Amino acid sequence: MRLVADSGLWSSGPVPAGLAALPLVAVLEVSGAVLSWTVDEPTAATQITFTDLSRADWLWRVVGESGHVAVASTLGTLAAPVAEPRTIELTSVDIVPGSVGPLRRLAVGHWLRRWWPASRRDGIAGLDRALLDVEVALLSVGAQGFFTDDTLDSDLAELLVPHAPALIMHVRDDDPRIRDLVRAGVGLADDIGIDGVGWPELFAILDDSTAILEIPAGGRDDYALAAGADVGPRGATPIARGVASINWSAVPPAIFDAGESNVDWSVAVAGSAVVAVVRAAVIGPDPATGVAVRVRSGAVGGGGALDAAGHATLTLVDTQQRPMTESAAWDHDWTNTSVLVGAEVSESRQSRERVRRWARARLDGPADDAFLAEILAGESSY
Amino acid sequence: MAVAVGHPRRAVIDQAWRAIGPGVEVLSTDDGGPLSRTVKRIIDPLVLRLRSNPQYSLPVVTSETAAAMHDLIVRNGPELCAAATWFETLKLERRRLRIRTGNAQELYFPVCFELAVTKGAPAPHDHQTAAGVLQGIHQGRDRTAIEVLQQYVASPDVVSMLADQLDRSWRDVRAGDIVTGPFLAELGTVLGPATSHRAAAARQQVWNAVIADATPYNLGALVRVEAAELPWSIVELGLSSVAPQRQPRVSGDSDSDRPLDRSVVDRVRSTLRRALDRDALPDIPLLCEEEVDRACAPWGLLGEDKQATLVAGIEIAVELAPLNLNMASRYALAAQIQARLRKEAYVLHARRYLAAGGPIHPRQQQVVDDLAAYAQPYLSRLWARLHGRDVWQEPCDDVDGVRSLLEGVARSVSLDHRQRIKAMLELQVAG
Repeated sequence: MRLVADSGLWSSGPVPAGLAALPLVAVLEVSGAVLSWTVDEPTAATQITFTDLSRADWLWRVVGESGHVAVASTLGTLAAPVAEPRTIELTSVDIVPGSVGPLRRLAVGHWLRRWWPASRRDGIAGLDRALLDVEVALLSVGAQGFFTDDTLDSDLAELLVPHAPALIMHVRDDDPRIRDLVRAGVGLADDIGIDGVGWPELFAILDDSTAILEIPAGGRDDYALAAGADVGPRGATPIARGVASINWSAVPPAIFDAGESNVDWSVAVAGSAVVAVVRAAVIGPDPATGVAVRVRSGAVGGGGALDAAGHATLTLVDTQQRPMTESAAWDHDWTNTSVLVGAEVSESRQSRERVRRWARARLDGPADDAFLAEILAGESSY
Repeated sequence: MAVAVGHPRRAVIDQAWRAIGPGVEVLSTDDGGPLSRTVKRIIDPLVLRLRSNPQYSLPVVTSETAAAMHDLIVRNGPELCAAATWFETLKLERRRLRIRTGNAQELYFPVCFELAVTKGAPAPHDHQTAAGVLQGIHQGRDRTAIEVLQQYVASPDVVSMLADQLDRSWRDVRAGDIVTGPFLAELGTVLGPATSHRAAAARQQVWNAVIADATPYNLGALVRVEAAELPWSIVELGLSSVAPQRQPRVSGDSDSDRPLDRSVVDRVRSTLRRALDRDALPDIPLLCEEEVDRACAPWGLLGEDKQATLVAGIEIAVELAPLNLNMASRYALAAQIQARLRKEAYVLHARRYLAAGGPIHPRQQQVVDDLAAYAQPYLSRLWARLHGRDVWQEPCDDVDGVRSLLEGVARSVSLDHRQRIKAMLELQVAG
């Protein structure tokens, strides 16, 4: 094992990807370390960044007892790697084959919750959030030896709490895979003392299995589609129009269609003002309300926030905040117009493409480590 | 490289656990090791008794210590098996009573071991004991102690007696002459690196000097003096809502939750709420009397080691900023904590809870701004922990213990912050 300095911490494996490649990084925060993998490179090495080696009491499970002791005694005598980049070779220390598999799968589960590229345009079906969260919670129980300290990823209640209404619908599903998963999830909820909307009812249903028959049938909420996503600008001929793409890491998940060129914009006259009309393709189930949007073209620009459906109309002004006139708008060269939705981040289109390719492959032929939510999404695509 | 010797602590526990044999399945994982909560709630505190056996708490233990730990756990096998049976009994009863609050393992494990030691295995069909235990756990034992407190301070005589004591104690605290330079230099050693045994021993000696030094006391006395010259502002640090610090009141709801603003009764109430082992506390009148003196002491803490730890914490706190890439650190410990906080912020980026450099949704702005003022929640939590230690007279004289306290506080504040950042995003899912 080779340890390298990573921003003041010791890290095994390759230096972590920069923020630009974020859509591809699956992480897991365990006691005393952050583990990361690249989602579409299943055979690549696990990267372990120690945030506090003395809290990483699970390390022997991954590198064996002597490996654990070797890492602890080596790093214990070294200062934190604050200055120049440094490397340490620990020749006899290696990751025990198979030991990190379940952790990687859990990390991918967390990744699926946040980055799965659901897109109507690209034909990538959304994942059932309730089933995914239940499966992630159950995997976390299996990995409890890695969560001696509470971490961002050790909170099971938070994964389960919102889903009682959806699980009530699933409890009577014809599909035994779904029923089994739901039962296991409810058993876990019972043990850890979950309370919240729908839970008493859900517990009651499972306590008294005859009650199941009384539950009204309900459809699976695969992904709720918000209306009006594909509507282009209407009315008079626009002065200019174009498309843009949203950086995934600039916006929260479960709002926008993850396809490329998912923002239509046009410049038009509204009353006496020149406005940019922006329409982002939404997929939901969460609304786009409040997400920042900025249009910039040379010296003119405008900013505001999207409405629930992903639309915004922005008055364009120059650098002195003076409204743009209609004649200036017709004279303006709109070729280099940028539309920025969400925060300002750098993200490569290429990493989004890689994610889509990986997701499609997962849907086409389920991987060994596929989550039930993925399998169901794959089946629904046929 | 020298051949490394020793055993990872958790591996030792795992092996000993497996050596117990059958009978502890409900306290075990699917692969036969102990559950995390079994270790946290039973093995560590009740079998290995880490408080009195600190050698068992090292991340890597010697072969001798490993053998002693192994022996201790295996010898407790019969009690652990009985505890497992008690847990099954309590869980059945929990289901029967349809109790669904609280994590069953977290709440019941210590009680199960206690029952196993005092009563052995449960008698067949003994619902009553189990029902009684569950009642005790789920009906908020702390309510009674807090009610006693309320009744006690409802008497005007009591309040005026405490108020007199408060006036006297407050006047008794005076700042002596103060020169902070040498003290801060010593802190530099305490919060600096130590990569050899010799350096570690030297660091402990310096800490011994620091907690015997009058500077933390004097600094704490000085924050209540108008126009005093201090290295920091207690308002900016979030320790007080005004500077200089005001004399605390006996009771009454404070208009702020800042540590140094809190009333005596408020402070006693938190002690009662936090107390796991309430029998060890003095009775309410004595507790109030003691708390008056504590509230009047510099930094609101009686122990000089606690005062020194708080000052060390202030020096660390002002150098922590999870979202700041270019934070300079004077102390190695602060640099190390800051590096961790940065990595934890990276996890938020990688999970799409935060965009690079700021909120991913405007709704998170407030929490992100709070992150910039990291010192405030950090010091509030550190103060609360020190207050607890002060009440229970647990020393802060071990420099490694102090350093891990300073690190642990950063860990829990960071987790708290990040959960709030998550929650602000998830609001819209619920709404």
